[in-house]
Amino acid sequence: MNIELTDLTRRFGRTYAVAGVSMEAGPGVFGLLGPNGAGKTSLLRMMATVLPPTSGRMRLLGRDPGSHGPRREIRRRLGYLPQNLGYYPGFTVAEFVEYFALLKDMPPGRVPRAVAAAVEQVGLGDKAKAKLRTLSGGMLRRAGIAQAIVNDPELLLLDEPTAGLDPEQRVAFRAILRGLGERATVVVSTHLVEDVGAACSQVALMDAGKVVFDGTPGELIARGEGSGAAGDAPLERGYSAVLAAARSVPATRSAAGTQRGPETWA
Amino acid sequence: MTAATQAPARPVRARASRLAPPLSFLRLLRIELRRNAMPWLLPLIAALFWFDSYRPSTGQPPLYVLRTFWNMGQGHTFIDFGPFVAGVAAWMGSRDGRRRTADLVTGTARPRWTAQLATWGATAIWAIGGYLVCTGVMFAVYAHQGVQGQPPWWWVAVGATAVAAFSAAGFAVGVFWPSRFAAPLAAFGGFLALIMSSQTGFHDNTGWALILPTNSNGNFQADSGLLYPWLPDLPIARIMLLAGIAIAALGLLGLRDRGDGPWLRWLAVAVTAAGVAAAGTAVGLVTTARLSADGIVIPALHDAASDRPFSYTPVCGQAAGIPVCVNPAYRRWLPDVTAALGPVFREVAGLPGAPVRATQVAAVYNGGEAGSTGGQAATIGGRPPVLSLAIGALGLPGAFGATATLFADQLQLLAVHAFVGAGAGVGTSAQQAVQAALWQGAGVAFAAQPQVMSTTGLPTFAQAAAPATGPVYAAARRLAALPAAARQAWLATHLAALRSGQLTLAQLP
Repeated sequence: MNIELTDLTRRFGRTYAVAGVSMEAGPGVFGLLGPNGAGKTSLLRMMATVLPPTSGRMRLLGRDPGSHGPRREIRRRLGYLPQNLGYYPGFTVAEFVEYFALLKDMPPGRVPRAVAAAVEQVGLGDKAKAKLRTLSGGMLRRAGIAQAIVNDPELLLLDEPTAGLDPEQRVAFRAILRGLGERATVVVSTHLVEDVGAACSQVALMDAGKVVFDGTPGELIARGEGSGAAGDAPLERGYSAVLAAARSVPATRSAAGTQRGPETWA
Repeated sequence: MTAATQAPARPVRARASRLAPPLSFLRLLRIELRRNAMPWLLPLIAALFWFDSYRPSTGQPPLYVLRTFWNMGQGHTFIDFGPFVAGVAAWMGSRDGRRRTADLVTGTARPRWTAQLATWGATAIWAIGGYLVCTGVMFAVYAHQGVQGQPPWWWVAVGATAVAAFSAAGFAVGVFWPSRFAAPLAAFGGFLALIMSSQTGFHDNTGWALILPTNSNGNFQADSGLLYPWLPDLPIARIMLLAGIAIAALGLLGLRDRGDGPWLRWLAVAVTAAGVAAAGTAVGLVTTARLSADGIVIPALHDAASDRPFSYTPVCGQAAGIPVCVNPAYRRWLPDVTAALGPVFREVAGLPGAPVRATQVAAVYNGGEAGSTGGQAATIGGRPPVLSLAIGALGLPGAFGATATLFADQLQLLAVHAFVGAGAGVGTSAQQAVQAALWQGAGVAFAAQPQVMSTTGLPTFAQAAAPATGPVYAAARRLAALPAAARQAWLATHLAALRSGQLTLAQLP
């Protein structure tokens, strides 16, 4: 398994952003759904080894990220696209991707070819020498994806990767996701259920810091059938039905948020 | 929950070679150099440098020690650079916080310290490069203008290290306070530090204050790089301090990120400690500093080889038939010197102890602007007698407002003062009277003498001058009123007694 989480929690003050999540995932595209504040971003930041968990056990790519050496090995094999992608406006697309390729400890000799391939893969080949400040929001998002995949990651964490992409780009991106999922574990956090339906083999739904559903997209669709839940598409109805069912059970201890904590591993 | 599918086995990930980390760092550095903010500000700094550092020095005589006193000795070159460099470095240091890239950088395999060092390195390279280019162009212009002496390379190194220290400190401010206000805060802090350094420095030429980078006391000795080498002691101590500050600031960056592993954390602790130790040692060293003839000596750093004066072939002229020799660097003032000494030599010609030759000697360092002990008296000694003059201790024409007339008047005063045997002191009343009469005979009227004696550059005996009235000047007027032959005859008879201090004012004719 590339991801093994056992009763993972993350607390900010008195608020549990992630409240006891357990999951396992091997290669494939894994969708993480949930409303705002469900704890998706906090969970992804923990898996990106940016944020240490408050409690619980986490193993990524067969290693414990709590120790420095294994954490470094994980990071060499990790791709991460944060929800709010920061960037350096004066860098060109190629420089931005190269910068992170070098920080990911890629052998320097491999970097130029990997950068060119990543930039080409996200469709920014003709913009490789354009400065990031000149790009549209969708192009920036693609540059962010390029930096995430440049090291051919074994674990790819994408937080709202399709936000800002136009429909054509989104379709192309789903194809990239499917390709990456053939050899890596790809976790995609999204609000857009159609992304999950089109690209993910597995899906988990989070609410209030907990996983309230996990299964295949087909199983999620099945939850919505005949439930009378709101939604235009079968997946949306499944999503709404699961959330409604989860919220009818009194919460025991969590109220999630996605605010950033002051503690980090590094 | 399990989401597992069968996937093809991944190829073995290539391991980076031993050379990869430095190569990666260099490539990071290359990107940072290309996209650094510092080059945008360098034109402004260069303009400031031109107006504040270069232009004020152009009026000085063409000797490196004088041309660079303002910009190197008083540290104006890095006053021009320091605050801006600190501000830009803070801007670069706060970049990950401002641009919200901290998560991206943190989630990579290389320690965040590495990325920060690459960003700082690029900023520092631009800043130091800009400083060296500005200084280099200034020195090239000086060389083209025929400026004499050795350039103060040690002080250039102090400036370059100061620029590095300002960039490191500013960068640390930006990292620890990643806000858009970090840059102006760091720039203002840098400016304040330099102003305080200057203000405190003017008052102290001993103790810890000598370490202050813009303390001009102890920096620029009159004949440094001309008759003897620039003493490196104080520059080395200041380089230690500034490098220590830079190293400590960079070490602190490594302490900030706990996740980079224990060995890196220990390395950061060691680096920080080394920086603090270097800075502390430098402060400790300057407290042991003492004044020597050719500058500030720090015993632990002093190399006796630095005390050896330069050997040179003097250039000579004639003053009333007497050879006058100076260091080749002073060649342009030789006519002024011979013109000034000629009347004095004519006045004393044929008298016992009259010099048969005049030669330049090295000026003795007198402690800078704080606690200055005044200029340097001339001496007449040897057989046959030779007049030794520390020309470098005087205000050369054009230096700090001095004129050729004042320079000549001062030379004459020093020569007649030495001739009457008053030594480094004021002299007896009789010596003062004879000195005034001889000086008047050389061309400086009695009424003008007190004013000349009050000018800077002269030894303390001159500063004690009274108005041209009273019994001393009355006696001087009587002596000067004698026919030349009678005056010569009286002097020939009484010079021995006059020089030994046994002659009273009443014994003058």
